[in-house]
Amino acid sequence: MAVINKKAKKRNFKESLIMSFDDQRKCLWYKLSATAPCVALPPASMQSRTNDNPLNPAALIPFVVSLSNHDRTQQAKRLLKKPDYTSLHALTAAALILPGLLQSTANAADEDNVDFQYSHYQEGKRDGINALVIEPETGTVTKFPVPNNRNPIEVDSLHGSGRFSLADRVKFAFNYIQDTWSGATPFGSAPEFSGANRARVKGINDDGTPIYTGASPIASTRGYFDSKGNFFTQYFNSSTLQNTYIKNRTVHVMGYASPETRKQGDFKLSYEWDEAAVEAGGGISIESDYESRFANLGGRMDFNQKQTTVNAGISYTNSAIESFINPNGYVSWGEQHASLISSNSLSGLGILRANREDWAAQLGLTQVVNKDAAVELGMGYTRSTGFLENPYKLSWLLGVDPDDPRQQGLPEGFFFADGSGGSAYIEQRPDARNQWHWNTRWAQYVEPLDAALHLGYSFAHDDWGINAHTFDADWVQPLGFGWTVTPRIRYYSQSAADFYSPYFIVPAENKLLSEENLNGIIFPENFSSDQRLSGYGTLSGGITVSKQFAKGIGMEAGVEYYTHQGSLKLGGGGEQAFADFDYWVANAALKVNLAALGQGAPGSGDSHNHHGDHPNVPAGVLFGHTLDKTGDRMVGYRYMRNQQAGAFLQGDSHVSEQQILDKACPGSVSNTTGGFDGGCAILPREMTMNMHMLDLMYAPTDWLTLMLMPQFVDMTMDNYQPESLIDPNAHAHGGGLHGHETGGVGDTGMYAIFKLFDRPNHHLHTSLGVTAPTGDVGIKLKDEGLQNLQGLDGAYIHYGMQLGSGTWDFKPSLTYTGKSNAWSWGAQVGGTLRLEGSNKSGYALGDIFESSVWGGYNLTRWLSATVRAAYTWQGSIKGRYLRSTRFDEGIERECKSISTYSDFDEFGNPIGSPVFHQAIYNQCLADNEGTKLSNDAKDRTSPSDFPANYGGHYVDVGFGLSATIPSGSLAG
Amino acid sequence: MLTNIDVTIILFLTILLTACAPVQPWERGNLAKPQMALDPYPMQSSLRAHNYGSREAAAGDNAAQGGGCGCY
Repeated sequence: MAVINKKAKKRNFKESLIMSFDDQRKCLWYKLSATAPCVALPPASMQSRTNDNPLNPAALIPFVVSLSNHDRTQQAKRLLKKPDYTSLHALTAAALILPGLLQSTANAADEDNVDFQYSHYQEGKRDGINALVIEPETGTVTKFPVPNNRNPIEVDSLHGSGRFSLADRVKFAFNYIQDTWSGATPFGSAPEFSGANRARVKGINDDGTPIYTGASPIASTRGYFDSKGNFFTQYFNSSTLQNTYIKNRTVHVMGYASPETRKQGDFKLSYEWDEAAVEAGGGISIESDYESRFANLGGRMDFNQKQTTVNAGISYTNSAIESFINPNGYVSWGEQHASLISSNSLSGLGILRANREDWAAQLGLTQVVNKDAAVELGMGYTRSTGFLENPYKLSWLLGVDPDDPRQQGLPEGFFFADGSGGSAYIEQRPDARNQWHWNTRWAQYVEPLDAALHLGYSFAHDDWGINAHTFDADWVQPLGFGWTVTPRIRYYSQSAADFYSPYFIVPAENKLLSEENLNGIIFPENFSSDQRLSGYGTLSGGITVSKQFAKGIGMEAGVEYYTHQGSLKLGGGGEQAFADFDYWVANAALKVNLAALGQGAPGSGDSHNHHGDHPNVPAGVLFGHTLDKTGDRMVGYRYMRNQQAGAFLQGDSHVSEQQILDKACPGSVSNTTGGFDGGCAILPREMTMNMHMLDLMYAPTDWLTLMLMPQFVDMTMDNYQPESLIDPNAHAHGGGLHGHETGGVGDTGMYAIFKLFDRPNHHLHTSLGVTAPTGDVGIKLKDEGLQNLQGLDGAYIHYGMQLGSGTWDFKPSLTYTGKSNAWSWGAQVGGTLRLEGSNKSGYALGDIFESSVWGGYNLTRWLSATVRAAYTWQGSIKGRYLRSTRFDEGIERECKSISTYSDFDEFGNPIGSPVFHQAIYNQCLADNEGTKLSNDAKDRTSPSDFPANYGGHYVDVGFGLSATIPSGSLAG
Repeated sequence: MLTNIDVTIILFLTILLTACAPVQPWERGNLAKPQMALDPYPMQSSLRAHNYGSREAAAGDNAAQGGGCGCY
């Protein structure tokens, strides 16, 4: 290493500054080879303000983190004063020479960064089923396809993660993941005409053939098997006077999952030495029916001048399951589950409560093979105990009783099997599972193309009989200008679990003798018809495109297609084609490198630095400040939680529950009179909305800031049936069942913020913008699946639960902020004006006017207290949901059938063939207008379904504390 | 099946132990490139692992991290 004099050092510092934000890793590399001193800058500023807590009815808990580049000069100066800092940092950075290779444990990312990812998972439609229609007289057998019009499963996911250096060697990483899914998914599988699927007829075609709307799962199944296990449906053919048998294929029994949300938060704390690291982490994942808590420990050791790295990790997960079962009375369970299920005598619903534990251990080795290749070898062991079933997966068990009289007179080798009275059982898996897995991965640098090839193989084996192989390959090809394209392919194959079968033929005892044993069926020790435990192969491929911008911002987008097929199983023998399905996933990510973001071009040396002087704006206030200078950028993250609960208000006065029931649902159908005076059937108890917003700001000129604000929202609403309305004789409306959840992408805001007046202590700016209707406003309730919504299937969910406004909205605002010494204050007025009269679902939310004033006092350098008062006026909803037409077709069919008949002669005998009578048809439709209205009114059961109940005036007063981090890695 | 895997692993280890010439720190420029990271897109990988995990029976490489169900 050459001796560098002080002057040279300074010059090199500037060079490396430029270099480092172009290519961080290159920079680190230079550092190690000691050709140039490389400097890592303290990362960018970050503000963190929390808590601003208006009082009831709406408690708002906002949280803002923003990452900006606008005090870069100050940081550069700080750095120049502290040469020690750089050398220390260089030491740690040296430990990171192979960022990827060492990433497997301790996740030793070389920089502080924050990433956001959105993804959409969409499954393809599963195979449809047929309905069987037998004409006993002619012996004709016809199969009619039953439409499969349920949307398949789709999932929207949001993932935010961050990694920060808390101290030189201490790193903190966190993830927040939120998935919302809904759609049709299989409960299980059964022979096609066994009765497990009940085709619903909605009418008869002109040629007399039935029209099906879809299929509902039902328990009652029975039929005949031959000695090979093929299932047959029997019918008596009156022309041949013989029993005839129709062979069945296996089909899915589909259910529907209403929107449901999972949220996961986890963190990891690591400490690094030059050649080792330890880390500890933990987290929680919450769904309405599944809650997991987990903790992990890991470590890494480098040997052999870092050519060899060994890492090890261990984790423990404890999960609690609490799921509603048996709402439609077609689900049964064996003795093993009976102790886990308690039933609610009022609602008749069963609740299954169970626990599972997972221990996992992992050992890995990473080895540099030569200057262009590295290899990773790993092995792991996972032990799971407890309730390992999926409580929503059912198996159809068909019992064979040799003494049953129906066994007589069957063809040679045939026998009768009966599952009537509850043949769908919650699956039963072993209480323990031991899994081992081995994996290897090779990374090869391809010099001529500057690309990398990754090849991976892994093998997994467990004591349930499943062996699985995974092969994958990807090619990472940098294209220049920061672009990288990565095509990828993956093949997976697994053998079936020992206790898997699409349905089960089991021995049964004479029912008369075996009252204790449910239906006389003798249960197999374990059984499951979950196709994830069947034998199959999958093939998937995709492509990822990424672009690295200067100043530490990267974008990533990818798409993947995945197909699951029994015939793709390695060595053959996979499940039949009925279980095949496919999906695609698209994702987009924004990655922000805090260190690079904080670095501007060196030498833009004016000492203009507003940032530290910004007045404190409560976190609940949007458009609180502008960017200072041309070219400034900022990436911010804002979280708001809005929870509404408590008393009902009309004007300023409280309203009793009974008054609400009577008045808030005008025109509801009464169960007793049948008239439109029924009142509300359920009432909202609580609604919670979580909003995650990204603030992407850019200042093209000094006086203008452009802002893009994508949002991700999720909502839950708890309803209850007032006690006065509970009918002890009915088995409807379980109290806890009325939780509704929605979630996904909300409306996207686009704003321009203009500085009107900008003095050191007084700022005035206005924002003009629109929100695009990117949030879904067509979300409907689904009652199939394991939720019973009493005929509300297909009705729109409550207005407040839709994800956006559905209209283009204009949002102006005017903001003033001021400060003097430790005091700061401000005021804002703003509004939302709907630019369209109605959205695609038939309504428009009310306009909004908002105003707020606030004052704050800096208690210390990093902590300030704020008080805010807000006044909000919101108009009621204009229009209403489009009238549901889902029953209309049935009415029309019915009328058509009524009005098609033969004319009669004077003796009342029909003349000729049936004729369609238009006048009768019209009369029938007119007569049924009332039915249509009544059907429509039945969709609205709660005050939250009525547009007039929305809107009003609100005054909120809140007190908050804002914390800002004035120095260190999170300096703001 | 298992023996094949064992053989593969032993083969790999043998190659590693015999064929690994020392790679000096200044020769690791290629290895340090972002495309050579064993997992160049960790966020996407965790998403894909979650999707695979909800659709396949085998434990993933990240089993030692823990996590929720998300079983749709």
